[in-house]
Amino acid sequence: MTWLTDRHFFLLAVVIYGLSTVYSVFLWRRGFRRDDHVNYFLLLAGFGLHTVAMVQRGFSIAHCPVNNLYEATAFITWTIVAVCLVLGLFRRLRFIGAFAAPVLFAVGVFALMPELDRQPRGPGPEFSGALTSLHAATILLAYGAFGLGAVAAVMFLVEQHDLKFHKLRAVLSLLPPVQRLETIAVRLVFAGFVLFTVGLEAGRYLPRPAGVAYWDDPKVVWSAFLWLVYLALLAARQMFAQRGRRFAYGAVGAFVFLLLTFWGTNLLSRLHHP
Amino acid sequence: MSVVVIGLSHHTAPVALRERFAFAEADIPGALKVLCDSGVAAEAVILSTCNRVEIYAATTQEPAAAFAALKDFLLRRGAETQRAGAGDGCQWQPQPKAAPDSPRLEDRQQPESGGATAPGKGPEAVIYARAEPESLRHLFRVACGLDSLVPGETEILGQLKEAYELARKNHFTGARLNRIFQRAFHVAKHVRTHTNIQRGSVSVASVAVELAERIFSSLAGREVLVVGAGDTGEKVARALRSRGAGRVVIASRTRERAEGLAGELGGRAVPFDHWAEELERMDIVISSTSAPHPILDRARLAPVVERRRGRPLLLMDLAVPRDMDPEVNFLENVYLYNIDDLQTVADGYLKLRREEMARCEKIISENVEALFRQNALAGLAAGRGLNLSNLRKSAQTAD
Repeated sequence: MTWLTDRHFFLLAVVIYGLSTVYSVFLWRRGFRRDDHVNYFLLLAGFGLHTVAMVQRGFSIAHCPVNNLYEATAFITWTIVAVCLVLGLFRRLRFIGAFAAPVLFAVGVFALMPELDRQPRGPGPEFSGALTSLHAATILLAYGAFGLGAVAAVMFLVEQHDLKFHKLRAVLSLLPPVQRLETIAVRLVFAGFVLFTVGLEAGRYLPRPAGVAYWDDPKVVWSAFLWLVYLALLAARQMFAQRGRRFAYGAVGAFVFLLLTFWGTNLLSRLHHP
Repeated sequence: MSVVVIGLSHHTAPVALRERFAFAEADIPGALKVLCDSGVAAEAVILSTCNRVEIYAATTQEPAAAFAALKDFLLRRGAETQRAGAGDGCQWQPQPKAAPDSPRLEDRQQPESGGATAPGKGPEAVIYARAEPESLRHLFRVACGLDSLVPGETEILGQLKEAYELARKNHFTGARLNRIFQRAFHVAKHVRTHTNIQRGSVSVASVAVELAERIFSSLAGREVLVVGAGDTGEKVARALRSRGAGRVVIASRTRERAEGLAGELGGRAVPFDHWAEELERMDIVISSTSAPHPILDRARLAPVVERRRGRPLLLMDLAVPRDMDPEVNFLENVYLYNIDDLQTVADGYLKLRREEMARCEKIISENVEALFRQNALAGLAAGRGLNLSNLRKSAQTAD
């Protein structure tokens, strides 16, 4: 299928995520009662196509495919699906895929906008390939973890509300226990934070084009701010017992902020968008 | 050779009548021997539980004749037997009459007040008889729990398996019944995995446990506080313990009762006035006191919740008038359920099971048809009974 480019494969993957979203609504309407494998296999199929797309792109540019907004976004969604598939191996956690599907579909559709997939213009900065890949890959993995943590936080909020107000669907559903959802959300956010720290640290050592100061770059400032936000979220939970709903809202809010401002700051950043 | 079933169940007869026909486990092999020796059955299984007494028989006779002979056998036995009593294995049954937790179960139309004098409804009238394929359908329905007092209950499958094993061990089953019973067990398992018929519970105690499992990652190590002397509270504590909950602390005005229960459940008793001090450590609180006013309100609980640092707290208020101020539910990480809420959940599960029944009936129908067709096609092969007389008979009869 050599006439199918990597973008075609990605498009197919996003279509499948769309189907998964539709099916997830169906699961939601039934109250998550049926332990269904269909959604898992849908995500698995999408993941397969998605991986093909990324491998194809990687080979065609001979780099880890994280060089422009399209590639970066594809990478984030790929990591989210990967984590969903791993967690979905545990029967009680399988529904996390149903909650992640709409996020995957929405972000995937956004990623397919043509303007995002621009070839980097001009002489590329002489980045040491491995360090750049490490930087980009870990940060994108971090975003993926934050995203999935936000998804788990939403599930937690929904289930907690349903249980508190004696909604039958909370008791009948096959979602994991509320306490476990909270633990998963915290662990994902924590994992994301660790990855984020590693990625930012790696980024500090990347060579910069002449005349561009590190702390002047919008993306660097934005990243530092984001890092502090997540640090505060985790610290508040630990030290001031801001648990349960407050942490969940924080995790969701931080990720929404990330989503909304990511592309903007990327475009403004001379380090990332020369 | 065809398979027939006769018997009586909670659908047709009150317990006073049923107990006359119940078989003690020790008596069953003898009864089976009588049945098979008399020639009416080539293979037989007797199922005797609190809610039904049934005889499944593979017979070469015409169904009508077989029914008459089997009914006769059962009636004669009923006349001979003294009161069997609801002895072996009947305690588990969630008898709605005894459980104050499920007053709204609609299934409770069985005529419990039968008594020894049941005018107008003699034993004859309450015995039902089914021939193929209805007998197969009946067996499958029983195995799946669809014929039970509480649809979807799972104990009956275990009892059916035991009854089958008993007959098989004593060589009272042959190819025919073996195949049919194996198929019944298979269908029951299929129904359990592919439908929701067996999900959830319909007694308040088990609903409470299910709730706890929705809230806590694991029941192990969770501490339970029981305040008050109510029956249902005790049942809930027992159910939680049996599902793995940690220590139980009992606080009751009647000290002996508290200590007795604590001893039984491996917990400890505390003086009633000190129950509030235990709150911080407890994860699940069950209250069923007879106090006329709430014993726990928001002001009292709020500081405790703070100190618990985000650990969820499940409060089950089983008392009427309520022991806990409903405002308490608005505290962070607190889940308050009163008796109505628990009953609503139990009703929800019952409704779910009813909905699932249609699906189960469909699965059962498919299996019955498949089996029926198999038997018809198999012809002589299916008639491979245990005794030579059967072999001869089946060689002569077109199955």
